[in-house]
Amino acid sequence: MPLIATRELGKVFRRGGEEIWALRDVTLAIEQGEFLAITGSSGSGKSTLLYILGLLDSPSSGEYFLEDKTTSNIADDERAMQRNKMMGFVFQSFHLLARASALRNVMMPLVYAANYGESIAATEQRERAEAALTRVGLADRMQHVPSELSGGQRQRVAIARALVNRPRIVFADEPTGNLDSKNGREILALFQELNSDGVTIAMVTHDPVIAELAKRRLVLRDGVIESDNAN
Amino acid sequence: MQIRETLRLSAEALLAQKLRTSLTALGMVIGVASVVLLVSLGQGAKNYVLQEFEGLGSNLIIIQPGKSDRKTSFGPPLGAAQRKMTIEDVLALEKRALNIDAVSGIILGTVTVRRDESIVNISVFGTNDQFQRILNIIIGTGSFFTREEDDYGRRVVVLGKNIVEKLFGDESAVGQAINLNGSEYRVVGTLGSMGDKVGLNFDDIAFIPTHAALKLFNDDKLLGIRARASSRVSVDDAVAEITDILKERRDGEEDFTVITQLSLMDSLGTILNMLSYMLGGIATISMLVGGIGIMNIMWVTVVERTQEIGIRRAVGARRRDILQQLLSEALGLSVLSGAVGVGGATLITYGVYIAYPTFDMRAPVWIVVPAFFLAVVVGAVFGVVPAWKASRIETLEALRFE
Repeated sequence: MPLIATRELGKVFRRGGEEIWALRDVTLAIEQGEFLAITGSSGSGKSTLLYILGLLDSPSSGEYFLEDKTTSNIADDERAMQRNKMMGFVFQSFHLLARASALRNVMMPLVYAANYGESIAATEQRERAEAALTRVGLADRMQHVPSELSGGQRQRVAIARALVNRPRIVFADEPTGNLDSKNGREILALFQELNSDGVTIAMVTHDPVIAELAKRRLVLRDGVIESDNAN
Repeated sequence: MQIRETLRLSAEALLAQKLRTSLTALGMVIGVASVVLLVSLGQGAKNYVLQEFEGLGSNLIIIQPGKSDRKTSFGPPLGAAQRKMTIEDVLALEKRALNIDAVSGIILGTVTVRRDESIVNISVFGTNDQFQRILNIIIGTGSFFTREEDDYGRRVVVLGKNIVEKLFGDESAVGQAINLNGSEYRVVGTLGSMGDKVGLNFDDIAFIPTHAALKLFNDDKLLGIRARASSRVSVDDAVAEITDILKERRDGEEDFTVITQLSLMDSLGTILNMLSYMLGGIATISMLVGGIGIMNIMWVTVVERTQEIGIRRAVGARRRDILQQLLSEALGLSVLSGAVGVGGATLITYGVYIAYPTFDMRAPVWIVVPAFFLAVVVGAVFGVVPAWKASRIETLEALRFE
């Protein structure tokens, strides 16, 4: 059973009466433990695909199965639950809460886990967040707010947040896009390390060098899968 | 999300913008404080006026010639009498009304007083000896005149404090003779310091016996009759009795009005309560303005925190978690403003009371508690719309919002 499967997924945007297909007939499967890079030129639909797979957006046509269960017509609350329990997100511009410490940022998914029958005691929330931050190498930066951290450190906080609730898959949207090459390489190494520990990763990137490092590479062109190969 | 976590988040958000939070709260604080202050002021005025009346003796019964339509009004216009009210009416009441323990006629006039070179114009009340008990008149030196002195038409006078000072200075007045409109009167007593009572300054008036007064003013009718019920509970019985006796003496015609201190206080109390409510109502408008301030800042918050909302939604917050969080911020603001406003206003009213104990405008509980809850409700109501809007934002759009 694949973790994720799609069948003829399509997404259409309407702009000024004109229909633009951002995705068309995308059929793919992602197995547990994979490291998938989604590449393509700007406007190829790679981010749109990632957000649909991450249940942050809905397809216009086709079907999306998460662990063999269809996600069409599931309620908004259940989508929030799946994001919380199954998924972790890492964004290009980090998307951390500016007011909150690294620790608080990482604890946030655990706070909302209480909504879904998994009430975690405050001390355990803290321990798990601390463990996640230690794993990404920020054991000594837990009480710092994002403005006190470098870009690379911020992205590590975001990765710790994505990992803290033990997701089945982490979605990353250009995670190195706002970093210099050194920090970018380090973040990428961290993703590879996580993947070798068994975390499934789907990463959008426009950088062919980064795409080479993934186990599998999906190339989109004008919303259609151009190639899908193991590296 | 747990309530505790929600409260922590909203406290954090409010504290992160201390100046903005305080300024937003200030609008509501002023609104709710003015409700409490204005209503307390109204109640203070009411307490003050009623206290003044109470000071006259709460068992006071006022009988005026002339008929007024409403029981609770302030009595008929002076001079509207159909039939004279006389000393014989007073005597009949004294003899037959069992629920009163003092009754006196009153006559009012202005006289010129002379002693040696000093001349003053004063108001003089003609009453009998019982009047002292009816109005709780305090005697300074000597005594009030006696029944015999009234019955025999003796020319004796009891002087208010200021008149004594003007005519006698530091000399003792009791036993001295003075001249009222050309007749010689003997001073038998002086009043203690009583000051103002319902607009009548007892320091500036003098009392002479009824018979002497009728002669002095060359009159045969009374301005009215004042009586005192033997106890507070017998006031109603006394009124019925007085009405019966006087009607009988007037061939069954009720051409007079009996007003009690209690009914007077009732009417006054009603009017002054209306005043309080009106002031409170006006102040409530300023609370609405405060509520709009909260709504305004909540809109700003929602726009500013769009990305935060997106992040929270991405990691598993439901729409209702967002709604709950922003609503609790609005509630936090209004609870804070309500508490500060009500607390501050209450402290001010107690401060005024401590500084001026005669003016009791201490905030009554029946306005303190509702004013607080009104502030909370207004804040919540004005917070709902922005919070609702925040919860409806699409996650992806919120994440991309810069």
